[in-house]
Amino acid sequence: MSEAKTMSIKEQNKGAATSLMKKNIRKFLRNKLAVFGLVVVALMTIACVVAFIGGIDFRTPDMANMRAAPNSAHMFGTDTIGRDLLARVLVGGCYSIFIGVFCAVASNVLGAVLGAIAGYFGGKIDALLVRLSELFQAFPQLVLVMMLVAMLKTRGLGNLLLIFVITGWMTTFRMVRNEFMSLKGETYVKVCEAFGMSKSNVMFKQILPNVMTPIIVSTTTNVAYFILQEASLSFIGLGVADSTPTWGNILNAAKNLQVVQNQWWIWVFPGLAISLFVLAINFLGDGLRDVLDAKQQ
Amino acid sequence: MLKYILKKLLMMIPMLLIISFIVYMGLRSTGVDPINFLVSPDVIAANPDNIEALRESLGLNDPLIVQYGRWLGDLLRGNLGYSLDGTPILQTVATRLPYTLELSAYAMLFSAVIGIGIGIISAIRQNGIVDYIGRVLAVLGQAVPQFLVGILLIWIFAIKLGWFPAANRVSPDATNAFVDAFMHLFLPVLTLTIGMVAVLMRYARNTMLDVLNSDYIKTARSKGIPEWKVYLKHGFRNAMKPVLVILMFRIPALIGGSVVIETVFSYPGIGITMTNAITSGDYPVVLVTTLIIAATMLICSFMVDVFNALLDPRVRLDG
Repeated sequence: MSEAKTMSIKEQNKGAATSLMKKNIRKFLRNKLAVFGLVVVALMTIACVVAFIGGIDFRTPDMANMRAAPNSAHMFGTDTIGRDLLARVLVGGCYSIFIGVFCAVASNVLGAVLGAIAGYFGGKIDALLVRLSELFQAFPQLVLVMMLVAMLKTRGLGNLLLIFVITGWMTTFRMVRNEFMSLKGETYVKVCEAFGMSKSNVMFKQILPNVMTPIIVSTTTNVAYFILQEASLSFIGLGVADSTPTWGNILNAAKNLQVVQNQWWIWVFPGLAISLFVLAINFLGDGLRDVLDAKQQ
Repeated sequence: MLKYILKKLLMMIPMLLIISFIVYMGLRSTGVDPINFLVSPDVIAANPDNIEALRESLGLNDPLIVQYGRWLGDLLRGNLGYSLDGTPILQTVATRLPYTLELSAYAMLFSAVIGIGIGIISAIRQNGIVDYIGRVLAVLGQAVPQFLVGILLIWIFAIKLGWFPAANRVSPDATNAFVDAFMHLFLPVLTLTIGMVAVLMRYARNTMLDVLNSDYIKTARSKGIPEWKVYLKHGFRNAMKPVLVILMFRIPALIGGSVVIETVFSYPGIGITMTNAITSGDYPVVLVTTLIIAATMLICSFMVDVFNALLDPRVRLDG
């Protein structure tokens, strides 16, 4: 009897969830900029991944055509040592997007877990984590990243990912911590605790779902943030090693004024790729915020 | 009030100590030999046989924590050590730090004036032409990497038009120091300003809109106060407090941005010094420049707190 009743409530909830989902999708589709963002992000990602998996040649220099302007053989032209720029922008996009997505997801997960712990337990562990986040925020993030680059010495992709994740968790941490502080006093949390539910169960299964919306939105916009961060770092020459193309690494050539003056295609195409992708991600993030923000519904 | 300021000032000291400790230990753990930056290279070259004795007399065989204490003491007495190429770091910092401060200060000033100006006009003439252009620029300004804006400006103003120099801070053949400074600062300051304005004007617009929709503005209007006075005296003054706080909060982004922009314009500031030091593994310089930037940041956040307390009497001073 009671079994059947809980089932029916669960099914009701499921039904409500699907209709809310449909409503949200309709709402998202009405937002033209958000749809534009989604389409551009999807198309660019697919193009980059397909080129990468298809094994497009981004390494071999075409000695006869160094610094060639865009032509039929090289649609985006070639770079200073004759490598095809279209291939490099595509493969570079693959790395840049991967760095952005990986760091955004990982740093938000880290921030959410630490924030949940700090907000739920409070007391000494909270004070310690807050101090730690303040310490990290005492630096401009780029300078912190540069310092860690100096400490780790080698400029590999793995190191860069690690550095971005450990320098990027603070905003999510603060947000999740504050939400947890106010939510842990709610009746439903008290009920779960009274039933003897384990602490991790209460934290991650009961409270965390209520904080997911801002986390999802901040993860989306963080993808753009990390892509820009990687680009800046690679531009000043402290990013991933040169053998790995990223959008920032390709733009590194534009540090040379000769290149800026005579080979516009070397910096215009990767620059356009970054700007368009970041713009699209920002539109997508804004759209998601509008759809998911419960306060507006 | 004085007590509050004093307390905030005192709280900066442990923070700086922790930061310097972490940075020192972190960089020492990379295995750089500190004898290179404690002693002038000439001295090392003069006594190749006595290095070990020198090491002992300098206390390099002491535990790390003792060495850290000594390094900190030197630092406080103004002895910043030597860079790996032998220049005293104090000298480098003394010439380059002012350049960076100059760059950031101008960018801050102009972005405040322009950002707040555009923000207010777009709030007053909502959905007007300025509002529309402002919104497009804000979206673009957050999508285009700042260094790319710098490259574009170099391409347009330095290469195509030839109005401004593309690099450096001082020309060797400059006749008028003021004009020379203006010419070299214009493009980097403009680059940083564009980035800041994109953020600031949105805040200024939104807070101004909030204020303009509030009841006391309606009251002021119904009393027959002229429109311009309503905007300036009643609207502007109340809308500016949150905007000024945001302006202060953007300082870290400004300093981070100027590190990159200095590379774009080969501008000889503290940021490019740090970048080059990292690339060439010049740890003593990395150590000092990082600390300087952290200290600048702490001072700025201290100013935010004090400023906030001054502007808003509701901030509890005992907190």
